[in-house]
Amino acid sequence: MTSVTKKKLMTTLKAYLFLAPFLALFILMVIYPIGLGAKLSLYGQRGARMWYVGFDNYFRIFQDKKFWEAFKIPAFLLFVQVPLMLLLATIVSLMFETRKRSGSVFRFIYYLPYCIPGIVAGIVWSYIFSDSMSPLKPLLQFFGYQGEKLLTRPNVPLILLIIILWEFTGYTAFVIYSSLISIPREYSEAAQLDGAGFWQIAFKIKIPLLKDVLITLFIFNAIGAIQVFNEPWMLGGLVVLPNNYTPAMYIYSSAFSQGRFTYAAAMGMILACVTFVFSLWVLRTAAKQLLGSKS
Amino acid sequence: MSKRVMVGIGVTAILVALAVYFIFPFYWLVIGITKDVGQLFQKSLLPGVPSHLRENIQRVFAYENGVFFKWLGNSFLYATVGSVTGVTVAALAGFAFRRYDFFLKKPLFILILGFSMVPGYATTLPLFMMFRDLRLIDTRWAVLLPAFVNVFGVYMMVAYFNQITDDMFDAAEIDGANDFAIFLRIAFPNIVPGFITLVLLSFVGSWNNFFLPLVVLNSRAKMPLILGITTITDPQGFPVYNLTLTASFFTILPLLIMFTALQRYFRPQLYVR
Repeated sequence: MTSVTKKKLMTTLKAYLFLAPFLALFILMVIYPIGLGAKLSLYGQRGARMWYVGFDNYFRIFQDKKFWEAFKIPAFLLFVQVPLMLLLATIVSLMFETRKRSGSVFRFIYYLPYCIPGIVAGIVWSYIFSDSMSPLKPLLQFFGYQGEKLLTRPNVPLILLIIILWEFTGYTAFVIYSSLISIPREYSEAAQLDGAGFWQIAFKIKIPLLKDVLITLFIFNAIGAIQVFNEPWMLGGLVVLPNNYTPAMYIYSSAFSQGRFTYAAAMGMILACVTFVFSLWVLRTAAKQLLGSKS
Repeated sequence: MSKRVMVGIGVTAILVALAVYFIFPFYWLVIGITKDVGQLFQKSLLPGVPSHLRENIQRVFAYENGVFFKWLGNSFLYATVGSVTGVTVAALAGFAFRRYDFFLKKPLFILILGFSMVPGYATTLPLFMMFRDLRLIDTRWAVLLPAFVNVFGVYMMVAYFNQITDDMFDAAEIDGANDFAIFLRIAFPNIVPGFITLVLLSFVGSWNNFFLPLVVLNSRAKMPLILGITTITDPQGFPVYNLTLTASFFTILPLLIMFTALQRYFRPQLYVR
């Protein structure tokens, strides 16, 4: 054996000693359950009895209207809430940038909702919109709102929009703001000398430089949209929502209310694949950034 | 008025309007816990008169023989043990990726990152089946063990360790330090602020994690606050709004105190919830 390969063997051994606790937990708590989920998804089930059925569950899911209907809310969030939030957060971050010192109070307040669990946000906002307690109803009626109730099923997507924007806009603005302030001053100064205005500098110089951050944020929020559970779950306490209101709610109720574990496992696998495709871009960039220069 | 002043006023107006939106639920929660149900139904935006704050707090604390304090203790246990263990394990793994060039390094890193994106709803269900076979359902381990895996922590740790130069490691190696001593004396002290940030983020993540305990726990005595507060009802099973609100307030209070006191550690990271 040459000394080079011997040395590599030695470092490999050392590296895996440091990796051992993580890998053990990772295999036990992540890889094995996913493998088990994949296996279960190929089984039929009645009560405790299970038998192999191949891809039967998947064929049935593709014909299950309730499964596809569950994607209405994620689609709404993906095409309305996420773009709206990124736009709003970008504008807010540009405003933060104009007052780096005096704006810290605003940055604190805007970030605050991010610490609040979705469940508590769901409780408080659902009470705020509830018929018995809503302080908003008199206000909205003053502005000519005609409806009898605020918290009705047709209004739930809008209320979800308000809750989720409340939770994540400030945090998103903070993330964008931290990349904004890392852009060298010379860039905008040079553009200013060439006679560019505030908006021109913002759109032609800053936003293109934010591209990577915005794409990453878009992907994380898209993944969040596919998985939304806590907020509609809590709203469901005050307004009747179908058990397939979101994919996660449908998986939960299929498994734990109806006891169809293997069917739910197959839906989980589909959701995992969709998520994985969304995240490929982030993964590629992350691996390149951290290890690319070295190995 | 000059154009600049006008723009300044406009920006302030928008920032204030959005601040009202972000503050409003906090305000409504704080005035809400001073009211009994009758006062809540009056839909006022002012605190309850007379104030029922003391009574609400007493009733939450006394609810079901003080189960509230069990939830609080559980939340602290799950969040503290989960975050410190998870981030420590992640630090060791991150160090391996930073320091060594080893067999299967890149594929392993991509594999770990890849699985980090798999949604909790896909793993929680098989986890439930696995814990059921291991007879761990309705035990504290069922909430703790998954929290020990912090994939995002590994990713961030590699980034933190990347800021330490090779020279520093090499110098320590020439001085005869063994690999674990290098980790303890060179690598770790240099990333302490990052370590604290990750522990805090992971603490908040565990504190707020609802889905996993919902699936793996049945008995109320083992629930964390976030799950416990959703089970508050009167003996007939109807919701008691003022108690749920008061309990919600105490669920977020530790987070708000932590966030305010340790603000400089809560640097925004692209954290997946």
